[in-house]
Amino acid sequence: MDSEDDMLDAHDMESGDDDFYSGGTDDYNDTDDDVEPDYGLIEEDADNSAMIASHRSQKNYLVLKEEDICRHQKDDIGRVSMVLSISEVEASILLLHYRWSVSKLHDEWFADEERVRRTVGILEGPVVSTPDGGELTCGICFDSFRVEEIVSASCGHPFCPTCWTGYISTTINDGPGCLLLKCPDPSCPAAVGRDMIEKLASKEDKKKYYRYFLRSYIEDNRKMKWCPAPGCEHAIDFAAGTGSSDVSCLCSHSFCWNCTEEAHRPVDCDTVAQWIRKNSAESENMNWILANSKPCPKCKRPIEKNHGCMHMTCTPPCKYEFCWLCLNAWSDHGERTGGFYACNRYEAAKQEGLYDEAEKRREMAKNSLERYTHYYERWASNQVSRQKAIGELQKMQTVKLKKLGDIQWTPESQLKFITEAWLQIIECRRVLKWTYAYGYYLADQAKRQFFEYLQGEAESGLERLHKCVEKELEEFQHAEGPSEGFHQFRTKLTGFTSTTKTFFENLVKALENGLADVDSQAASSKSTNSKASKTKGGGKDKGSSKNGGSSRNPDDN
Amino acid sequence: MSSQASLLLQKQLKDLCKHPVDGFSAGLVDEKNIFEWSVTIIGPPDTPYEGGFFNAIMSFPQNYPNSPPTVRFTSDMWHPNVYSDGRVCISILHPPGDDPSGYELASERWTPVHTVESIMLSIISMLSGPNDESPANVEAAKEWREKRDEFKKKVSRCVRKSQEML
Repeated sequence: MDSEDDMLDAHDMESGDDDFYSGGTDDYNDTDDDVEPDYGLIEEDADNSAMIASHRSQKNYLVLKEEDICRHQKDDIGRVSMVLSISEVEASILLLHYRWSVSKLHDEWFADEERVRRTVGILEGPVVSTPDGGELTCGICFDSFRVEEIVSASCGHPFCPTCWTGYISTTINDGPGCLLLKCPDPSCPAAVGRDMIEKLASKEDKKKYYRYFLRSYIEDNRKMKWCPAPGCEHAIDFAAGTGSSDVSCLCSHSFCWNCTEEAHRPVDCDTVAQWIRKNSAESENMNWILANSKPCPKCKRPIEKNHGCMHMTCTPPCKYEFCWLCLNAWSDHGERTGGFYACNRYEAAKQEGLYDEAEKRREMAKNSLERYTHYYERWASNQVSRQKAIGELQKMQTVKLKKLGDIQWTPESQLKFITEAWLQIIECRRVLKWTYAYGYYLADQAKRQFFEYLQGEAESGLERLHKCVEKELEEFQHAEGPSEGFHQFRTKLTGFTSTTKTFFENLVKALENGLADVDSQAASSKSTNSKASKTKGGGKDKGSSKNGGSSRNPDDN
Repeated sequence: MSSQASLLLQKQLKDLCKHPVDGFSAGLVDEKNIFEWSVTIIGPPDTPYEGGFFNAIMSFPQNYPNSPPTVRFTSDMWHPNVYSDGRVCISILHPPGDDPSGYELASERWTPVHTVESIMLSIISMLSGPNDESPANVEAAKEWREKRDEFKKKVSRCVRKSQEML
């Protein structure tokens, strides 16, 4: 009973739409006394995802499996049914209406029960009286039925079972709206609850209904979301307001709670959305066409030049012959223009700086395409690299570590440093990848300089680490027996892991405050400064000294 | 399913023949097909439609009454809630699933308790009071709102035409 009270309290604290999320992590933990085992579950599983996640921050969320979702849903229904002294079916109807917010439902119910009952359609008694015996006419098919055969919702409007089944089946097949099903009578607000579905729907329809019912608990709930990974059926229960919005599902997919794209810290959701849109947009195709083709002067179809000769012939039916350089009709070319292969008119125009508009646009498009390609390639190859690292980590954990332990006479528990190195790589590849999207949209020249410096540092550290664990480890894996250098290797790899971590922490921190400590003028000197302090060692000191500098122009960005 | 639909439609047809309702008459387009009805609506008095005899076709789906029929005027019709091809657009003929989010209350939409009679009465009341909030025929709605005289003129042309067709 204690925990029950705690829960109610915590829910009260969460009440109100605006400050729904304002409760800190502490409240949240109090709330879920009864789901404590879940934390244990995650740790026992020792799943990669959990480890990757724990690398990042303390958790302010829970991963729910289907059975957990069912249990939570049932608990909520049970609690409401008990507190409001209503049946579980009625409690479900209410919760569906109040989007599974127990606290909001309680507030409204105790403020004005009448009104809630009216809007939701839980009547206190039938509005149509049913006779004790005899026959009644079904309101849909107008056939007569004995009173015992007739079925009604709480309102008492009489319909026969066949018509009910048809009615329910049609709504269920129309989608999740069936969860808020009402009596077929147009003016009647009475809700049709789960008990009637259970009694009247076909087996298949029931299955669909319960699927919608379960989904509603996640999809209509403000603090729940499905994991967006394909095929994953877990959900995330999130307590916002504190910490990062990156969450990691048991299926090893990490994503951003806000935008449900894959995890992208330190880059913000807007940039990510813009970048993804750009990657998929037709606009890049358009740029390519502009940069690499010219429209036929007659039919305007884009033409890519695939031979050296300037004499172009458009494909049928157009068949227009023109000069690639000046785009004028080929028939005009001859002695007058200085020969077929030296289009003077063009040369002259170029000398006078009379590039025409189309030419200029093509030039610009070409540049912007090259710039985009630069960032995209790096973004994409870090993505690939990360995927490979995840695969490698799995192999490591399942087979390789054990083998290595046997060869080097080292217990597996002491080989954790290798797993940690891989986890660091996976996390860093993700961060690095997104910094390329960030870089693409970074316009400020001074900031860009500083950003590229930090990114470069981080990247080279990561490459060193990745190479070390990928290549140098090989040697020890194929050794005949314990190698002398293995201890040294351990020290080296552990060192690389921790320096790489520091580099990336700096990068993440700098990007998260929008590179605020860059003074637009003194950018170049700044980057040398930070270099100097880095050689001294403390990555953290560097941050604070820069922060001191930044206070001069806080609204730099 | 379809046998339930045809039984129900036959019953409604029989009832309407025995006890005709003021304002409209109903029959089948083809005696062998119970799913296609031909109805004639008499323009309600004290409206621009007074005196008209408007023909329409009602087509019922196989899963009637769980899904609504469609109603299409075959006579010329000038009305904010009638598409230019004659289709009638009123909320009770929209299946509840029409609402993309699926969460709107179903009370104004189709439910299986509606009958030919209740649909016809809805259409007659639509003729008496157009709903220009969500018009199917934007032109007609604009005229109805801003140039009532023009609107009435067009409607009376429809009325005259419908009388000539008799």
